[in-house]
Amino acid sequence: MTTNYPELFCAFAGEASLVLGMLVVLGYDLTVGRKRSPTERWQASCILGGAALFSALVVGLRVGVVGPVLGGEFMLDALGVGTRAAVLVLAGLTLMLTAGTARLRNPAEFVAIVLLAATGFSLMAVAQQLLVAFLALELASLSLYVLAGFDKTRPESAEAALKYFLFGGMSAAFLLFGFSLLYGLTGSIDTSAIAAALAAQGSSPLLSVALVMVLVAFGFKAAAAPFHLWAPDVYQGAPATSAALIASASKLAGLTFFVRLLWPGLGYATGDVALRHFSPGWLAVVALLSAASLLVGNFGALAQSNLRRLLAYSAIAHAGALLLGVMAAGTAGPAPLYFYAATYGLATVGAFGVVAVLEAAGVGPQIADLAGLYRRSPLLAGCLFIFILSLAGIPPLAGFFGKFAVFAAALNFGGLASVTGWLAFAAIFLSAVALYYYLRVLKQALVAPPAPGADGRIAVPGAAALALLLAALLLVVLGVFPSLLLQIFS
Amino acid sequence: MNLSASSLWLIPALPLLAAAIGALTPRGGRSLASGAAIIAMVGALGLSVAALGTALAHPAAHLTDNFTWFSIGTDAVRLGWLLDPLTAFMAVMVSFVGLLIFIFSLGYMKEDANFTRFFCFLSLFAAAMLGVLVANSLLLVFVCWELVGLASYLLIGFWFHKPSAAAAAKKAFITTRIGDLGLLLGMLWLYHVRGTLLFYDGGNGVLEPSSLALLSHGKIAGGIALSTAIGLLIFCGAIGKSGQFPLHVWLPDAMEGPTPVSALIHAATMVAAGVFLIARVYPLMLADQHLANVSVHALTVVAGIGAITALLGAAIAVGQNDIKRVLAFSTVSQLGYMMLALGVGSWVAAIFHLLTHAFFKALLFLGAGSVIHAAHHEQDMRRLGGLGRRMKITFATFAVGMMALAGVPFLFSGFWSKEGILHAAHAWPVSQLPLIAGLIAVVLTAFYMTRLVAEVFLGSPRSDAASHAHENSPVMTVPLVILAIGAVLLGLIGTPAWPWLQSNLGGVVVPAESIFEGPGLMVLSIVLVCLGLGVGWALYGWRKRRDAFAPDPLAVAMPGVFAALAAKLGFDEFYALTFGRLNQLLAVVADGLDRWVWGGIISGVAWMGEALGTFDREMDESGLNGGFDAASEKLRGVGNAYSRAQTGEAHGYLRTLAVAFVVLALLLLLGGVL
Repeated sequence: MTTNYPELFCAFAGEASLVLGMLVVLGYDLTVGRKRSPTERWQASCILGGAALFSALVVGLRVGVVGPVLGGEFMLDALGVGTRAAVLVLAGLTLMLTAGTARLRNPAEFVAIVLLAATGFSLMAVAQQLLVAFLALELASLSLYVLAGFDKTRPESAEAALKYFLFGGMSAAFLLFGFSLLYGLTGSIDTSAIAAALAAQGSSPLLSVALVMVLVAFGFKAAAAPFHLWAPDVYQGAPATSAALIASASKLAGLTFFVRLLWPGLGYATGDVALRHFSPGWLAVVALLSAASLLVGNFGALAQSNLRRLLAYSAIAHAGALLLGVMAAGTAGPAPLYFYAATYGLATVGAFGVVAVLEAAGVGPQIADLAGLYRRSPLLAGCLFIFILSLAGIPPLAGFFGKFAVFAAALNFGGLASVTGWLAFAAIFLSAVALYYYLRVLKQALVAPPAPGADGRIAVPGAAALALLLAALLLVVLGVFPSLLLQIFS
Repeated sequence: MNLSASSLWLIPALPLLAAAIGALTPRGGRSLASGAAIIAMVGALGLSVAALGTALAHPAAHLTDNFTWFSIGTDAVRLGWLLDPLTAFMAVMVSFVGLLIFIFSLGYMKEDANFTRFFCFLSLFAAAMLGVLVANSLLLVFVCWELVGLASYLLIGFWFHKPSAAAAAKKAFITTRIGDLGLLLGMLWLYHVRGTLLFYDGGNGVLEPSSLALLSHGKIAGGIALSTAIGLLIFCGAIGKSGQFPLHVWLPDAMEGPTPVSALIHAATMVAAGVFLIARVYPLMLADQHLANVSVHALTVVAGIGAITALLGAAIAVGQNDIKRVLAFSTVSQLGYMMLALGVGSWVAAIFHLLTHAFFKALLFLGAGSVIHAAHHEQDMRRLGGLGRRMKITFATFAVGMMALAGVPFLFSGFWSKEGILHAAHAWPVSQLPLIAGLIAVVLTAFYMTRLVAEVFLGSPRSDAASHAHENSPVMTVPLVILAIGAVLLGLIGTPAWPWLQSNLGGVVVPAESIFEGPGLMVLSIVLVCLGLGVGWALYGWRKRRDAFAPDPLAVAMPGVFAALAAKLGFDEFYALTFGRLNQLLAVVADGLDRWVWGGIISGVAWMGEALGTFDREMDESGLNGGFDAASEKLRGVGNAYSRAQTGEAHGYLRTLAVAFVVLALLLLLGGVL
């Protein structure tokens, strides 16, 4: 295989600019930033990091859809380009929120690691060869472990990071083991070669074990039950903006990564979930994960009194619906899944952004502490209103359209009398349950009067306000004109 | 200055914007609301003058700008703007008189708590009225027409805390709606026949020759041409809005509104909308004239209604004691003159009188407003008197208006415009009855105006309010002076010696002799005016009223006639006894039907529903709902139980991961075997 370096550089100029940006941020902080106040260091680091993300976004969009790169090790298709753009936007929003709210030490390190994580996500979005994919995944994961534990003043943060690391490390081990089994079975780490070899040799017990091992890692990445246990603790303990990144960009990149691996690579081993001719394959396992996530997420959320944990369970429930989208991608293509995951990411970043601003202002993490938010900060209450309703899937917000597209695709996939059809119905019914806990949040924020003694106005930093408004605006606009985002797939 | 037809919409848009500003201004923002209204009117006046310049450059052309409003299937509903001399003259008049009245209102409404609301409504009214003028579609006219009606309702009922004002507003709205029903029917019929409501549309409009030929050929039952039927239905709208017999009853009651409103709406502009509408659709009204074998021509009806109204209004005005009511009935009478002129074939004379009347009637109403403001809202002329010495400007300008209205020869505009109408009536081949009615009304007009001036301004004050009255501030007197100048000068542009207005209005040069055949009729009408003035002076000026309770000289001379006139010839009572009764009867019948027949059925159904509901509730409460509640509780319980399983212990989590892997792998393997 000859390596075409100009082509390679062209395709990965975005990632290069991210890495370069990371070095600049670190360099600035080591030289000039040393003598400045923490606020100035935060601002400078975030501005530099934002610039790197922005240039990566522009470069990535300019490169556009070019197809396989470097002999098929990377795939710059619509899904890849769209995911890259979305993770960069989400990381950018995270940075803006961080700039306004974080009280952490070591700003440059935080921004640099966010940039590294973004590089990992960006590579995950386009990686097609198992080894490269695994490296991208690990780059992203390791960065996220650090981000989760970044707040060294709070023991919860360290606890979250440790749990996340242990769980993530174990699932990475499973993934690597699964990959090596696949390599052993097919003699290749190239997706298309694997697909061809599997088609030739048929199913085997070893393949089943390999599949389940890969899916364990997938379950971890998507926070799908029963591999979700880390999520509530990490979402609760990590710094709010780290949690936002874990819940949004990481999830989107993981979904793209696995949908790329599962459908083209392991397409032979899908099995069938229609009732008449059921056959085991990864579809059946994903369906099980989806059902478990929908149930665990929605019912678990009912009992939560902490906003962050509630968002964690909501994330698990959404993972269930997203897995439906992964299954439906077989016929409908990745567009519904991508739209759902991207808009879910926006709403989640927004919701965690509100949490971050509130916590920076000393308003506690309990849902009850939101009482009277509409008076204390109409901006936060209004944005929260949009984010939560989008999470709940209320039209005309983007969350509704994403749900609609995914459920419609799932119903189309196997018809009504199939496991996916049932799961779609179950997801729709469980949306009603979900509405209960979402509205409980909004009721506190918009209806309940402020608690005595806690009725002062909450100041919203400019950068954070801008990020929240941007996310809310995007949710409304994409809900009304979903084609703005979906046109990249046509 | 020029203004193309495509930017004509700006004329109504400016006051509409001012109305919006006024509506959004809180009560305290007096100067903002009134300033916006007045600036908008100044702008509308400037644009109207520019439009007049454009229109006079092509007086015979109808400049239009049409656009599609919306499409249903293959049908497009189109609207448009129309610029011709009729539009332009009317727009200049409405915006000029309107502007003066707006300024006068600054002083008159100064103490009112709802000052901003007042200016909002005034601007809304002006916008709607200007919209009627610039519309090139009967539909657009109708929309603005109804907005005019709404604004008039809001303004008459402006002091809605007074029951009489609220009732008057309701009466005005409902009465004009009766006429509007006719207009709506005519409009729908026209749309049904022609498929468009545009007036002028490059040969396809309803007022253009091909359409008129089509409409005058069609006959309906009773030997009436289609154009006659549609024209008369449209005329119904004009009857309502212009206070013509038999729907004139709302106009006097509308005097419950603030006096500037009476001046603006019920004298100068809104009531003129009916006359304007007929002048606008005049080709349609004329379309049946060449037909000999029809039972009635549309314009004959118009002339008849106009003549009756002119005579009736003048007669009733003689018997009124409230200044504003005298003026109101005088308005009814003058509008009758205009309709008469339309009916006898001279729409140009009608519009000329409309323009001059707008000036002197606005002047008279504002003068009355000035008196009322000075005399602490005393409107009964028996309790006023002697104000001439105390309010010199008001008296002088009021006298100018009175002479213009009475038709005092040569110097005053009212004389020339009224002469035009009388000459047109004289030249009407069908009948001389309208001319006779008009001539009698001339005497009566001169008489009641003399009475009014003598009672209010001469003699001695007959109440505390009158004796303490003093002249108002310039913000109120300056508009009076300007209007008085207009009331004199405006006549000069339409004299037989120089018929500039007549020539430009129709786009055809009018020779002087066509509006003036000879001195005979003019001399007769001058004699009649002098007769009216003389009798009035003899009865009211010569022996002045001593106190408020002295009987009226006319009541002493002819008690029966005076009482009948004072009671407005009993129209209100007559309507109450006939239509009101009928309506009540219908209401009783409908109520009975509703209460016993339909009500019975509905209560039966309701009872059944209730029974079903009770049954259902029992089922629900004990069965479903109980089950649902229990299920919901259980769901929450599941959540709680689950969240207890989330222990937070890392090794537990990892164990779960491993167990889940084993279970899933076994499932897949066993599934493959099975």
